[in-house]
Amino acid sequence: MSKISRRSFLKSMGLAAAASGASLSGLTGISRVFGQNKFEGLPKLLYIFPGTPQPDVARVQDALNEYMAERIGAVIELRAVDWGAFDQQIGLINASAEAYDLAFTAPWINNYYNNVTQEYLAPLEDLLPSLAPNYWNSLTSDTWEAARVNGSIYGAINQQIFVKPFGPYIRTDVLDELGLAEAFAAVTQYEDLEDILAEIKTYADRSDTVLEYVTYNLAPLLVEENWGYDPQDSLLAVKSTDESAQVVIYSQTDEFRRAAELIRKWYLAGYAPSDVQTWGEQDSAWSAGLAAVRVSDIVKPGGNAEVQARWGHAVASKAIAEPLLTTGGVVATLNGVSSISAHPEEAVKFLELVNSDPAFYNTLCKGLEGVHWEWADRDQQLIRPAGGAASFGDTGYNPNTDWMFGNVFNAYYTDATQVGAWPETAELNRSARPSPVLGFTFNRAPVETEIASVSAVRQEFADPLGSGVVDVAEGIDRLNRALIDAGIERVRDEMQRQIDAWKSANS
Amino acid sequence: MSGYTQQLRQKQREDLDWIFHHISQFSIHGVLVLLGLFCLVPLLLIVSASFTDEMALTRNGYSLLPSEFSTQAYETIFRNPVAILRAYAVTIFVTVAGTVIALSLMSPLAYALSRPDFVLRKPLSFFVFFTMLFNGGIVPYYILMTQVLRVQDTLTALIIPYMVVAFYVLILRTYFAGLPSELIDAARVDGAGEVRIFLSVALPLAKPALAMIALFTALNYWNDWTTALYFIRNADLYPLQYLLYIIQSNAQAMQLQSAAGHISMSDMPTQTARMAMAVLATGPAAIFFLFFQRYLIRGVTLGAFR
Repeated sequence: MSKISRRSFLKSMGLAAAASGASLSGLTGISRVFGQNKFEGLPKLLYIFPGTPQPDVARVQDALNEYMAERIGAVIELRAVDWGAFDQQIGLINASAEAYDLAFTAPWINNYYNNVTQEYLAPLEDLLPSLAPNYWNSLTSDTWEAARVNGSIYGAINQQIFVKPFGPYIRTDVLDELGLAEAFAAVTQYEDLEDILAEIKTYADRSDTVLEYVTYNLAPLLVEENWGYDPQDSLLAVKSTDESAQVVIYSQTDEFRRAAELIRKWYLAGYAPSDVQTWGEQDSAWSAGLAAVRVSDIVKPGGNAEVQARWGHAVASKAIAEPLLTTGGVVATLNGVSSISAHPEEAVKFLELVNSDPAFYNTLCKGLEGVHWEWADRDQQLIRPAGGAASFGDTGYNPNTDWMFGNVFNAYYTDATQVGAWPETAELNRSARPSPVLGFTFNRAPVETEIASVSAVRQEFADPLGSGVVDVAEGIDRLNRALIDAGIERVRDEMQRQIDAWKSANS
Repeated sequence: MSGYTQQLRQKQREDLDWIFHHISQFSIHGVLVLLGLFCLVPLLLIVSASFTDEMALTRNGYSLLPSEFSTQAYETIFRNPVAILRAYAVTIFVTVAGTVIALSLMSPLAYALSRPDFVLRKPLSFFVFFTMLFNGGIVPYYILMTQVLRVQDTLTALIIPYMVVAFYVLILRTYFAGLPSELIDAARVDGAGEVRIFLSVALPLAKPALAMIALFTALNYWNDWTTALYFIRNADLYPLQYLLYIIQSNAQAMQLQSAAGHISMSDMPTQTARMAMAVLATGPAAIFFLFFQRYLIRGVTLGAFR
C-alpha cells in the first residue's frame, strides 16, 4: 500500500511540475505578441475602454495607425475590456500605477471624480486649446466648465445628447388600435396622460389582448429633471429657474409631492403591477408585449427608433420636461489621459482626431468601408452592413459604442429612421437652458458619513413612494423626518457653502 | 381464559408498537423527504427555466416543467461553442493541476507543522496563521502578480492564488497531529527516514483528510472567476465561470447602451440564458461532488474538524 501511494504521489508531483512548467514557459506572453514593425519608433498610445473585444480589431487598428502615423506621429493600441471587468481592471491598473495613455471615464463607470481626487488623470486645459483646437472650439465654454474639477479639466467631453428631456413613450400599435394618437400628441404635462392611461387599462383588461398592464414602472416620474430641478447629490437639487442657486431638499418640494401623488393614484388605479420588478424582468415584460407605456424616459431625436431596436415595439413619444443642461448630463461620457502617460501630447492629438475627424472617428466606431460597412446613401451619411451581412454584429467589427469614442454627431447613421437626428440633438443641446449650477461639482468628502445614511434612508423611504405602494402624505412625512435625522441638512448647508464659493469664484 | 386475554393484550400491544414505530418512521422520512425537496426543487426550477421559451417564462413564470420547451438559451450561449469548450478545458486543467499542486505543497507543510519535535514549528505556524488574519489587500496582490511575478495572462495566474490556503493547512495539521506518534516511532526504529515516514506512513493514513482538502481546493478552482477578472485579458484563457460572467455582463451592457444600432434585444434571451449558464457552470461540479461525497463525509467524521 505504501508503495502504491508513494508512486502515485511521485507521479502526481511530476505531473504538477510538468503542468506548472508548461504553463509558465509555454503560455507566458502569448497575448503580448503585437509586433508592428511598420510603425517602429513611433510612440504607441494605449487606449483602455469597456466593450466586447472585436474579432477584427487588429485590422481596424492597422488602418487607424496608418492614418495616425502620418498626421500625429503616433500609433494606438485599442484595448477593450469586457463590461463586467472594466471597473475592476482599470481600478487596479490605476492603483498599481500601470502605464496607459487614454481611458474612458465617467461618473457611472471608472469614476471620473474619484480618478481626479486620486490624481490618476492629467489636467488637459493647457493642452487642448493648442493641440486640439477644432475640438476645443466645437464646445461652448459653458460646456467645458462642466468637466472642470478643482479648477482643471481632466476629461475630454464626448459630444452626444447632454440634456434629458423626459417624457412618456407609448406603443404605436396600441395608440392606433384605440385611436389615441392625437390625444397623445396633445399631452403637455403628465396629468394629461390620465385619460389615455385609463383607456389603455380598459383595453389591457380585455381577455383577448396580450397586454396585461399599462406600464411596469412608475418610479421614473420622480426623477428631478421631470419637474425642472437639476439633481445634485443625495436628494438635493437646485431649481433650474433659480438664479440664486438655492439648494433644496427635493422631497420637501411641491413638485416631489405632485409626482408622488400621481404615482400613488396610478398605482391604485392598477396601471402598474403590484409587485416590484427587477430591470431585467421589466425589459422582458416590455419585449413580450405585456405593457404599452414607458411612463417617463429620455425623449430625444431618433429615440423612438432606438427604443424599438432595443425592445422590439414601435413607439411614439412626447417630451414633457424642459431640456436642462446640467453638469451630470455633460460629463456622462469622457475620455481621460493618464497622469503618468509618457505621451500626453500625442494622446490629446488623438482626442482631436476622434472628436473632429469624421473619417477617423467612424473607422474607430464602425470599422473599414467595404469590409465592415458600405454606403447605403452617401448624401445622408447612411451606412449598412458590408457584403449583405444581416446585421453589423455579423461583420466582425461592431463595438457599437460611438458615444464612448468621441463626437457622435460625426457618426454615420446606421438606420434610415435616424437620419437627421444629430443636427436636431445638437440643436437641443444648444437651446437647452443651462442650469444655474452648470459646472459645479460637489465635493462629498466633508459630509461623507451623512451622505451614506441619506442614501440608506432614500432606499428605505423614497423607493416605496416611487412604486406607489405607500400613502403619499404619510410616506413623504416619514421620508423627510428620516432624512433630517440622517443629517441631510448638514449636507445641504455644505453644498450651499460650496456653491456660493464656486459662484463667487466664477463671477 | 386469562392466558388468552393476556395473549390478546400482548398482541394488541405489539400491534400498537408496530403502528407507533411506523408512524414515527413515516414522519421522520416525511420530514427528510421535505428537506430533500427543498434542496432539489430550486435546482429543478433552474434546469426547467433554462429549457423554457423566454417569452413564455415572462408570461407564465417559473414551473417545474417547461411551459414551452425551447433550447434557445443554450443556442445563444453556444453561438460560439469554441469559446465555451476552451473555457471548459481551461477550467478542467486549472482545477486538476491546481489541486495536485496545492495538495503536494500543503500536505508536507502541514505534516512538518504537526510534528512536535520540529524546531521551526512555532514561527512557521505563526507565519501560516498570520496570513489568515492579515493580508496585503488587493492592490499589493495585483502588483505582486503583474509586476513581480509577471504572470498576468497565463494559466499560472489562475493556479497561484489557491496553492496554499492557510485554513486547509491548519485542518491537515490537526489531522496529522492526531495520528498515533507510536507509528512514527516504529517506522523510525525500522530505519525509515523523515521523507519515507511522511510518504509511507503519514500520507496513506491521512487519505480521508487529503480527499476532503482536495475536494475543497478543486471547488475553489472550479468556482473561481475573480482571479481571471483581475489577471486574464486573453479571451482564450478565460475559465468557464468567468466566461459565463462575461457573457452575462455583456448582455446587460448591451441593454444599457444608449446607442443600439441593429441589435434587436427582443430575441436575445436573458433570463433563460442566465439559468442555462447556471446549469452549465454547476452541473459538472455537482457530479464531481457526488463522486467525492463519501470521502467528504468520512473526512468530516474522522475528525478533520476536531
